[in-house]
Amino acid sequence: MRKPIAIKSHKQKPSGKIKSERSAQAFAPPQQKEIISSIIEKTNSPQQIDSSFTKIHWLRNIFLISISLLISLAIGLWFEQLIGSLFTRNIWLGYIGITALVIMLLALMVFFIREIFALLRLKHIDNLRTLASQTLIDDNNKQGKKIIAELLSLYANRPEMAAARTNLEKISPDIFDGSVMIQHSERTLMSSLDKQAKALISASAKRVSIVTAISPRALVDIIFVAYESFKLASNIAKLYGARPSVFGSLKIGSAILSHLAITGGVALGDSVVQQLLGHSMAAKVSARLGEGLVNGLMSVRVGIAAMRVIRPLPFNTLKQPKVIDFIAELAKITKPD
Amino acid sequence: MSKPPKIISDELGITFNNISDAAMGIFTPTLRLGVTGLSRAGKTVFITSLIHNLLTNSSLPAFSAQAEGRLIAAKLSEHPKQTIPRFAYEQHLKAITDKAPYWPNSTSSISQIRITLKFQSNNWLISRFGLSKLNIDIIDYPGEWLLDLELLNMSFADWSKITLQQSLRPNSKKHSKQFFEVLKKVDLRADATEPDALSLKQAFTQYLSKCKKDESSLSILLPGRFLMPGDLEGSPALSFSPLPAQKNPVKKTSLYAMFERRFEAYKSQIVKPFFIEHFAQLDRQIVLVDVLRSLNLGHQAISDLEIALEQVLTCFNTGSKNPLMQLITRKIDRILFAATKADHLHHTSHNRLEAILKRLVKDATKKAKFTGAQTNSIALSSIRSTFENEIKQDGEKLHTIVGYPQRDEKLDKETYDGKTEIALFPGDLPSDTESIFQDKKHPVKLNFLRFLPPQKFNKNENNEIILPYIRLDKALEFLIGDWLK
Repeated sequence: MRKPIAIKSHKQKPSGKIKSERSAQAFAPPQQKEIISSIIEKTNSPQQIDSSFTKIHWLRNIFLISISLLISLAIGLWFEQLIGSLFTRNIWLGYIGITALVIMLLALMVFFIREIFALLRLKHIDNLRTLASQTLIDDNNKQGKKIIAELLSLYANRPEMAAARTNLEKISPDIFDGSVMIQHSERTLMSSLDKQAKALISASAKRVSIVTAISPRALVDIIFVAYESFKLASNIAKLYGARPSVFGSLKIGSAILSHLAITGGVALGDSVVQQLLGHSMAAKVSARLGEGLVNGLMSVRVGIAAMRVIRPLPFNTLKQPKVIDFIAELAKITKPD
Repeated sequence: MSKPPKIISDELGITFNNISDAAMGIFTPTLRLGVTGLSRAGKTVFITSLIHNLLTNSSLPAFSAQAEGRLIAAKLSEHPKQTIPRFAYEQHLKAITDKAPYWPNSTSSISQIRITLKFQSNNWLISRFGLSKLNIDIIDYPGEWLLDLELLNMSFADWSKITLQQSLRPNSKKHSKQFFEVLKKVDLRADATEPDALSLKQAFTQYLSKCKKDESSLSILLPGRFLMPGDLEGSPALSFSPLPAQKNPVKKTSLYAMFERRFEAYKSQIVKPFFIEHFAQLDRQIVLVDVLRSLNLGHQAISDLEIALEQVLTCFNTGSKNPLMQLITRKIDRILFAATKADHLHHTSHNRLEAILKRLVKDATKKAKFTGAQTNSIALSSIRSTFENEIKQDGEKLHTIVGYPQRDEKLDKETYDGKTEIALFPGDLPSDTESIFQDKKHPVKLNFLRFLPPQKFNKNENNEIILPYIRLDKALEFLIGDWLK
């Protein structure tokens, strides 16, 4: 514990008198809160995978490494042969070939660098969400400040969010609780993004419904649904601050799929709605239309899952959109304007 | 332990009051919020800041109705009860925002103010009918009055015995000397004369006020009205003092018998009506506690504070809310304990301050929880009068607060004049909460100076003053947030 001292505020350097009085000092043990948070981190770590799987991982890795080595050797050999034979035909042809190769390699490198950055950003957003959920519980002031700073930098290049950002910057120094900080930043930053995401979902669902209703073959609408879902997910990801990328989209896609698989049971209410919509009401109008609505609802679910997976803050003060919120909008396409 | 002084006829009266309130409340519900705390805990400043922040619709991020933009407006409404003084909000605000700002005078009596909030409900059915209204009656009363409820279970002889014992404790002995001198001169068994009664009463009141000024002794100074008479100054029911017990029966006209009658009158005419009229009809209660001051004074003051708080809390009529029963009986279903003046230490110490407060009200919390009421403890500052800073000293970073200490505040032999700005490091709060209750030599004497209100306030776009705060919004959310859902 430390003794109280007072310093005249215009004096930068405290006087020596105070120094001599501070001689008897004992220091408090590290704060309890820190210890607790480190325990939480440990137990929450995703490293604890069943050990029986590690053997398979090990085998798989060896297989993957060796096969990729073989493939890259083959590609290298093929390029070498190609350039060689180009040079034997004509020296200029050879130069052109080499230039094309270099440009291709450069482009590939840039592509990979961008992908890596995009994946890092995705990881960053993911971490932010985990941290935010933790802060909502443990009320840690420091972590709250850190999250606000990161959110502000994440959306720093969005002109339409300037007002929200300034609001957050102005008010956050007066907030002392981590949980209130997170709630306040969710209210200020996420509400407009959520609205845009909802609009994206609803537009995509409508397109899917219409295409399904008018498509001549089942295969066409399956492909269209897949394409639309993919596009919707990456649009939502972009909206919440992720960078567009191929691997990133794949990662989001798999996260959404696993999310849908997990919540499949929870969405029982939704499937009842689908039954009602698909088989009775709309189906009476037209069988194709009923199917269209069901497919539309499917893409609504994909969109909501995408929101949950990609949003940098968990849903806490704002409500997570539900499938039912979109039904009214979706049903409008059945009415002729 | 004191019990709520209710008999069946009292209950009937309270019930009629509640039914008529409920009938009125169909259109605009009224929430009665009690604000109490021992003197100098910061009740007046808390209410002033709360009202001002609501009236100016300032940003309250943790108060969900405001943060969600559902709070449309707030205004002070006509005073509901004609016989109770109105809380002088405007005057208090003026004191704080004066050119030479000072903290407003302390609560000496009960006062009340009604603020009406206009808001949009979250509930789709209610919001269909447009904006909703909620009256909030804020009732401000000295916590010392609650301590009086303890007296209801005592006879004059009991009370005299306890009080005289207390006055002989080492801390208070020096203050009670004069009172005992007066007591010696008076013949208690002879016929009572008014001058004798008056001199005894005055000596006793002086002893009480000396104890209070000294601060080293007794948060519990019974009877509460002697120091805070309110509008009863000089009435016979307040003119008595403890007397040593008499072995033989006394004459009816003797001083002892007269004081005994006055003590009974005090109980039945003053303490009980207060309980029935104001106290039994609260919905929410906030108890403000000045933990820092007691920490300055040491373990004796801390245990006094603990006892006083426990007594205050046994008086509350707590219980969970039942919509049907609410028509006839009102219960406090939420109690908030707030350690005030949290701006007098750095925010990194707030956790420890909250821990100390939680420990102080531990038993009371348990009782309240048992009846179904919710409780919460937070560290707050109604008006933030300092800002935070860091200073490096001997290669060690110190979290300091910067502000103007009040006149005559002392630290290390230096006395401040109320005009110098200083950066203060008030010392670390103990990490082991139990240690502050124990009578052992602490390695460090804490010293929380009292600061003046801020010299300058920011203004909002309507040119209204913004009162900065710490966690006032959180307190509001806990106290009234659920009525604005």
